[in-house]
Amino acid sequence: MSLEAKIKSGEFVVLGEFEPPKGADFSRFLNNAKQIKGRVDALVVPEMGNAVMKASSLGSCAFLKQHGIETVFQVCCRDRNRLALQADILAAGALDILNIMAVPGEEITHGDHPQARLVNDLDLIQLLETIQRLKIGKDLAGVELSGSPKFCVGSTVNAGAFGGVRDIEMENLNKMIDLGVQFLITTPVFDLHRFQQFIKHIDTSKGAVIPTVLLLKSAGMARYIDRNIKSISIPKEMIRDIQKAPDKLKQCIQLTAEIIGHLKEMGMAGVMISTVGWEDKLPQVMDAAKL
Amino acid sequence: MIVAEKKPIEEIIDQVKDFQKLLIAGCNECVTVCEAGGKKEVGILASALRMYFMNEGKKVEIDEVTLERQCDHEYLEEIRDRIDKYDAVLSLACGVGVQFMAEKYFSTPVFPGVNTCFMGAAEERGVWSERCQACGQCILGETAGICPISRCAKRLLNGPCGGSTKGKCEISKDLDCAWQLILDRLKELDRLDDYEKIMPIKDWSTERAGGPRKVVREDVRL
Ligand code: SF4
Ligand code: SF4
Repeated sequence: MSLEAKIKSGEFVVLGEFEPPKGADFSRFLNNAKQIKGRVDALVVPEMGNAVMKASSLGSCAFLKQHGIETVFQVCCRDRNRLALQADILAAGALDILNIMAVPGEEITHGDHPQARLVNDLDLIQLLETIQRLKIGKDLAGVELSGSPKFCVGSTVNAGAFGGVRDIEMENLNKMIDLGVQFLITTPVFDLHRFQQFIKHIDTSKGAVIPTVLLLKSAGMARYIDRNIKSISIPKEMIRDIQKAPDKLKQCIQLTAEIIGHLKEMGMAGVMISTVGWEDKLPQVMDAAKL
Repeated sequence: MIVAEKKPIEEIIDQVKDFQKLLIAGCNECVTVCEAGGKKEVGILASALRMYFMNEGKKVEIDEVTLERQCDHEYLEEIRDRIDKYDAVLSLACGVGVQFMAEKYFSTPVFPGVNTCFMGAAEERGVWSERCQACGQCILGETAGICPISRCAKRLLNGPCGGSTKGKCEISKDLDCAWQLILDRLKELDRLDDYEKIMPIKDWSTERAGGPRKVVREDVRL
């Protein structure tokens, strides 16, 4: 079943985040993907996440497609202007990539090429508008296309937003849904109480909300994220449990599986499991979560 | 200087039509020199608006002031005692001045009366053209004093593109090819050897790409 059909069916969706390689050797990337082929509904392929230069999402999705794996292609405002974005979106359509997800892109200055020139020709809402227009069969200049791409469209939402920021996030969310967004992947969720506070403000009947569940690697990583990334908070007990555990990896996997279980119980549309470089651990996480 | 252009009167009217007491504020610096927002332009705009509102049968009070600089606390303070008299300010300063005004008088609506265009110079009376994009790392020393970032349509750093024809840029025959100008001047300075050197990939982090910029000088801070 395609991701779109799965979302429509209301069954629990499982996505895996798969960072493309920094290099032209895709063998490990492919091996890891093959391990979970058939177990996840699609692999989400980031477009240079954290502004770190890697193989493109489009190229990597096309590569996985050759091996029969469904993907979510990410288009990003940061590095391409409206010409390049539309060109890539059309190419993705022709390659039969079924899902597309618009993201704003993290700050270039925080990545590994801080001297690069920022593009941001279109913002996130405008990029979603662009996708919608191309799907209808016209480009941004109003010219009729010879064949329009068909996609299941997604975007991101900041689940860590609260107060005034959350109100703005909700406004954006409504705009996104009006622009044809069918699924929304959230920032990583650890603190379920906080997530519940957030989710009650969203009408989940309008779009499938898919929380990201991030596989932690160590207590140090958890502490770092908790302290430095405003939108994510990690409960102290979780950090303590990792610290105390004799087998840290096992504990981290267990923790991820538990969060997935809770989110499922909460009636979320699905999860996206992010392993940031530990893609080979994805089967273990899925086993632990009984997915 | 900062070069600006007057906004179309229709656009200005659209911005201020719902206010009863307006202050039109000019600036005595760049916008005066480029004849877009100095005392003279404040006067002309005020008359045009008075006429418009009169024809519409609307009673709108319009006052005029021209400050020495709108990008300066000291001069902006001069209107503090009367700012509350106005429903809105129409500032004819560049975008910097408009914002400084808005920051200072937080509860008064401020509207721009000009479009701020670029940093440039008057080539001749009535003709202004761009000279600098504030890239934050000036390379004029290597390019014979002619800026390829603001003046080459493609921002090329290593010589002209294939479209340069008879000294003109491929995007318009009215535009000099910046690289032709650079080469001519390097020749004049007997520095054509410099042209052989490969200019490295530019660091854009000091340009706007790196986010809003700030200069902090500890030695001159109070
Ligand atoms: S090199 Fe940079 S700083 Fe120098 S004139 Fe050109 S844009 Fe301005
Ligand atoms: S013709 Fe000259 S100025 Fe125009 S883009 Fe080419 S090199 Fe730049």
